[in-house]
Amino acid sequence: MIKKEGSFKYLEIKNISKNFGETFVLKNIHLDVFKGEFLCLLGPSGCGKTTLLRIISGLERQTNGDIVQDGLLISNSPTEKRDFGIVFQSYALFPNLNAKQNIAYGLENKKINKKEIEKRTNNLLRLVGLEKYSDQFPSQLSGGQQQRVALARAMALSPGLLLLDEPLSALDAQVRSKLRNEIKLIQKKLNLTTIMVTHDQTEALSMADRVVVMERGHIAQIGTPFELYENPITPFVADFIGKMNLLKGKYDKKNCVFYYLNNRFLISQNTEYSFLENCLLGIRPEDIEIIKFRKNIEKEENILRVKIKEITYLGTIFRLTVVLESKLEENIFVDVISNQVISNNLKIGDFIDIKLKKEKIKLFESNL
Amino acid sequence: MHFKKNFNKSFNILLLRILIIFVFILVSFFIIIPLLPLFLKSFSDNKNNFIGLENFINYIQNPSLTQSFINSLKVAITTTFFSVLIGFIYAYALTRTRLPLKKFFNTFSLFSLYIPPLAVAIGLIYIFGKQGLITQGFFGTIPGFDINLYGFNGIIIGEIFYCFPQALIILVSALNLSDQRLYEAAESLKASPLRKFLTITLPNIKYGLMNSFFICFILSFTDFGVPKVVGGNFNVLATDIYKQVVGQQNFAMGATISIYLLVPSILAFLIDKNFRKNEASLISGKSIPFKPRKNLIVDSIMFIFCSLILILVIGVFSSIVLASLIKIWPYDISLSLQNFRFSNVAGNGYEPYFNTVFMSIYTAIFGTIFVFFTAYLVEKFKPLKKIRMLIYFFSTLPIAIPGLVLGLSYILFFNKPSFSVPFLDFQIFNPFSLLYGTMGILVLANIIHFFTVCFISATTTLKQIDKEFEEVSESLKVPFYKTFLRITIPLSLPTILEIGSYYFVNSMITVSAIIFLYPAKIPVSSVSIVNMDDAGDTASAAAMSTLIVLTSLFVRLIYEFTSRNVSKKSSVWINPLET
Repeated sequence: MIKKEGSFKYLEIKNISKNFGETFVLKNIHLDVFKGEFLCLLGPSGCGKTTLLRIISGLERQTNGDIVQDGLLISNSPTEKRDFGIVFQSYALFPNLNAKQNIAYGLENKKINKKEIEKRTNNLLRLVGLEKYSDQFPSQLSGGQQQRVALARAMALSPGLLLLDEPLSALDAQVRSKLRNEIKLIQKKLNLTTIMVTHDQTEALSMADRVVVMERGHIAQIGTPFELYENPITPFVADFIGKMNLLKGKYDKKNCVFYYLNNRFLISQNTEYSFLENCLLGIRPEDIEIIKFRKNIEKEENILRVKIKEITYLGTIFRLTVVLESKLEENIFVDVISNQVISNNLKIGDFIDIKLKKEKIKLFESNL
Repeated sequence: MHFKKNFNKSFNILLLRILIIFVFILVSFFIIIPLLPLFLKSFSDNKNNFIGLENFINYIQNPSLTQSFINSLKVAITTTFFSVLIGFIYAYALTRTRLPLKKFFNTFSLFSLYIPPLAVAIGLIYIFGKQGLITQGFFGTIPGFDINLYGFNGIIIGEIFYCFPQALIILVSALNLSDQRLYEAAESLKASPLRKFLTITLPNIKYGLMNSFFICFILSFTDFGVPKVVGGNFNVLATDIYKQVVGQQNFAMGATISIYLLVPSILAFLIDKNFRKNEASLISGKSIPFKPRKNLIVDSIMFIFCSLILILVIGVFSSIVLASLIKIWPYDISLSLQNFRFSNVAGNGYEPYFNTVFMSIYTAIFGTIFVFFTAYLVEKFKPLKKIRMLIYFFSTLPIAIPGLVLGLSYILFFNKPSFSVPFLDFQIFNPFSLLYGTMGILVLANIIHFFTVCFISATTTLKQIDKEFEEVSESLKVPFYKTFLRITIPLSLPTILEIGSYYFVNSMITVSAIIFLYPAKIPVSSVSIVNMDDAGDTASAAAMSTLIVLTSLFVRLIYEFTSRNVSKKSSVWINPLET
């Protein structure tokens, strides 16, 4: 994963807050963005990610706090004095201008001669692979092509910072994954510092160098996709990035044992959890094994006997929804390789034993 | 740690603030402030002494004047009821049935929008008046029938003619917003037609319905043209104001009656505004438009109904044209153009006609620019929110200000060369007084009189244009005025043309706002219709009406032609890829 040593802080967000009257939209946000980095703001709707992006652009004004871009304090600068390009979810392409005119819109306002504009516009069209479509109006372009025009337009003035507000969410799945790669390639090629807002965790994980997970106006966790997946620090992050089963129980710190109803689970001793008693046990569906046909189960640890409630086919894996007899309403998800389900002939209603891999178990403070 | 500060304040934002404040000052001086001298006048005698409520008390104690107030209410309530009813049935036929010849009915239903209410009244005289076609049984060929035109009956018929197309426009657009899926869902749940109507159709159009009640009420409560011509001895507030001001030069009583006219209008306006506060479309962007099914009985009834309405509309128009072409109705019914000479009458030949045409052109040009720019500043920007909200409120107000009241308040405001500051011996020059006695004041009165409808349609269009265009421009360092010229105006062109043609047509036919204002050296045609009618020269009045209607129709045709070209040109922007 990308280490940020050697790169410098390009954008510093210092203690930014935003409230509309009594309601806080953002609360004390601190965030550094490094030169050339692709950063994702990820979170459910209403978490404040778009507001943060708009504050960075100056389209929205913060209630408190400062923003420093490239050593320049821009907290109160008007939008037009800031150095960024933006792509909106709707693209906001000017419908009465063709692709080329849209891209040249910002350039034409600068004192640049026509030849230079022409050259730059053609370069941008080539960069996004739309040379053939330069005369087409937005309504004559497909969604993906419109998105590329918007991207080229945002990059026309060679901004130091690229802001993307849910740029792919209006596209269908296939085009989306193709464009993900293209945007990423262009961004790396130009070493363009980029901040993207998204609610789609797959998108964030596949594109970003670092992801900022936001929850109700504050930052829940910042990290590389790998760090977030492997070491989520809150149950929210754990369940938002990928899927995680969360079981509420009691933790016995001295013996490293977690009690869930009548079951006890051993927790890796190398992990230090400072909190006591009531907490949550977290385990990802893929870190649960089925041990239906193994013998000597008594000797094994961290076993639960469960009943299969539902079987969902997800391609290479099946996701089983299982329940304890004593707690029918609490679903536990288990991911099993398809072959295993088929060869063992698992059916709804079957009882199976599952094993929670000790080294994969996480504990979280319970704020419930 | 210290950072270099990016201090550059934005010139654009400063410019924007200045423009918003400038527009605020203009709308204040054109809409709100002129009403103040009118209020003051209603509390003073004709020598400008403050006399408190005396005028109002005099008014209430004068039984003939209070009768006018009751008469106006009677007219307004009756007209509103019938106009909305007819408008609704007609709109329903156009949108929700398989009415045969729908396009034809659609086009001609709005025909009476181009006929001045004054002219409608004159047309009615030729049909239902003493020598009217129906009254005399088509020059005695069949038995006649007298409906007692002069008075309440005549006013109601004229006002319905005037108000019904307004209700129709609102209700057609309300009924057009429909969702086939809702009706299909209701059908799958075995709902009866009545239940579907009550639970889907009616709730969907309640705001449109309310709005059409409001518009019809105000128009008929305050209209001057129809009662002036066919009112007879049935006095209403509008004709009373005219008599007080023009007949007796009693400005104080004119102002007082204006207040009586203004208050119910403003009240209706506020009720409508309050009612629509929660307006939210129940129809989503994904809805599928309603497709009416064939229903022989309903379609036939609707066909008969709409035909009857159209026959009346076309009948009134034809009778105006006929009257203008007939030498001496009913004695010498040979055709001639002598009525179009306007030489032997109170008119001034063709001068009023050309004055009116120029006035309408100026109104269309300046009005469209002003209204669109105002709507643009209000709708598209963030600074000075409170001031923008005030501009919005002021802009919606003129619809509740009767033309006569506007005209009277303009006289009282614009003829003052200076204002005196209360409690100080100090005078401020009134720059707007320079407009007094010029064509400018007529144009301004027209711009403001029809401001609200144009403003709302400009606002609606601007709302549909992505707000992010301005944000993208900002991020691309393009100043807002460039985006305004290059993006906003081209995208709004159809609406801009519509506003221009609306202004033109209404300025051509209006009488109430300018009857007090027109300078003696600039006679206008709608006023000369009033004067010719007063002088008993109805045939010339009919001829002038014909000219006005034909001019309006001609301009409307030019509009249709231009806007068709515009939409052909812009279709490539709008049509999605698939088509």
